Amino acid sequence: MKIELISIGRAAKILGVSIGTLRRWDDNQKLPAIRKSGKRFYRLSTIKKHLESEFVENSDLVELAWEWVSSEKGKEPFSLFYCSNSAVFKTKLVKMQNKLGSISSLRPIFPLITSIAGEIGNNSFDHNLGKWADIPGIFFGYDEVKKLVVLADRGQGVLETLKRVRKKLSSDEEALEVAFTEIVSGRSPEARGNGLKFVREVVAINKLFLEFQTGKAKLEMKEGKDALNIQSSETSIQGCFTVIKF
Amino acid sequence: MIVELKKFGTTLISRQSGKEAFAVFALNLKVVPKSEKVIVDFTDVITFSPSWGDEFITPLYEKYKDNLILKNTKNPSVEATLKLLEKIGAITMNNEQ
Repeated sequence: MKIELISIGRAAKILGVSIGTLRRWDDNQKLPAIRKSGKRFYRLSTIKKHLESEFVENSDLVELAWEWVSSEKGKEPFSLFYCSNSAVFKTKLVKMQNKLGSISSLRPIFPLITSIAGEIGNNSFDHNLGKWADIPGIFFGYDEVKKLVVLADRGQGVLETLKRVRKKLSSDEEALEVAFTEIVSGRSPEARGNGLKFVREVVAINKLFLEFQTGKAKLEMKEGKDALNIQSSETSIQGCFTVIKF
Repeated sequence: MIVELKKFGTTLISRQSGKEAFAVFALNLKVVPKSEKVIVDFTDVITFSPSWGDEFITPLYEKYKDNLILKNTKNPSVEATLKLLEKIGAITMNNEQ
């Protein structure tokens, strides 16, 4: 594979900083350059990645995910948040698990946060395999400082998925209620883990907040209450959007 | 027979990996009669979920019923998952803290 190298002048222009700044970043290893005949060069991919991480650092994670899931035309999310398949998701989830587990105040609860995030993310893969509307995979991000996890997919949504076993369902709101409340023990035509019921039970008895939207139906759950508070949202989305706060 | 779950990993979360784990483990179970005790030890499991559990624990219970013993289940994700599996199957599994 050919690696495209660019000059320090071009890198500075792309990043919107001075050449002097880039020299300093090279010296203090913030953004190391590649030296060739005494001159500094950069991989174009490295510069793009740096630009992306700077943008992400200054952005609101929830807004980024919402923009991605609610935009009419699908495009791949930033690589930092993109899980194109379940193996990538598992790797990122384990990283989150270890990160949250290293924070002493979260020790009693981090396995539950990881578990419900895992159920929601894997639901997206299990129910949409081969049926993604445009972009396969999910958006998955977390912020241990702001104490939140965000997951989103541009799949078929809960109504379409549940209609395979509950043909009479007709609205997003109804489907959302069934998904979070009714135990579906039948394994036909596809295996079901009752993952969203699990999410509900965990949120109801722990210091957690959940926001979940599919289509135009949106629910909010708070600690200590198992009420779902399902409402209609002004914006309808392609698949599912989740925010877990801890 | 004792099954140490950590041998399948410490983050046990997806239906697919639960299914794969059980498919491999089922070969060992062929020689274990229903009358024998099967102890599932959760020591060192960090994150457990209903999807994985439904593919591994549920079929074990279906075969061994009361001879299935669950051990070291104090992890909150293990406790919450087992509670849900029992609710779904309307069963009570033997739990040995």
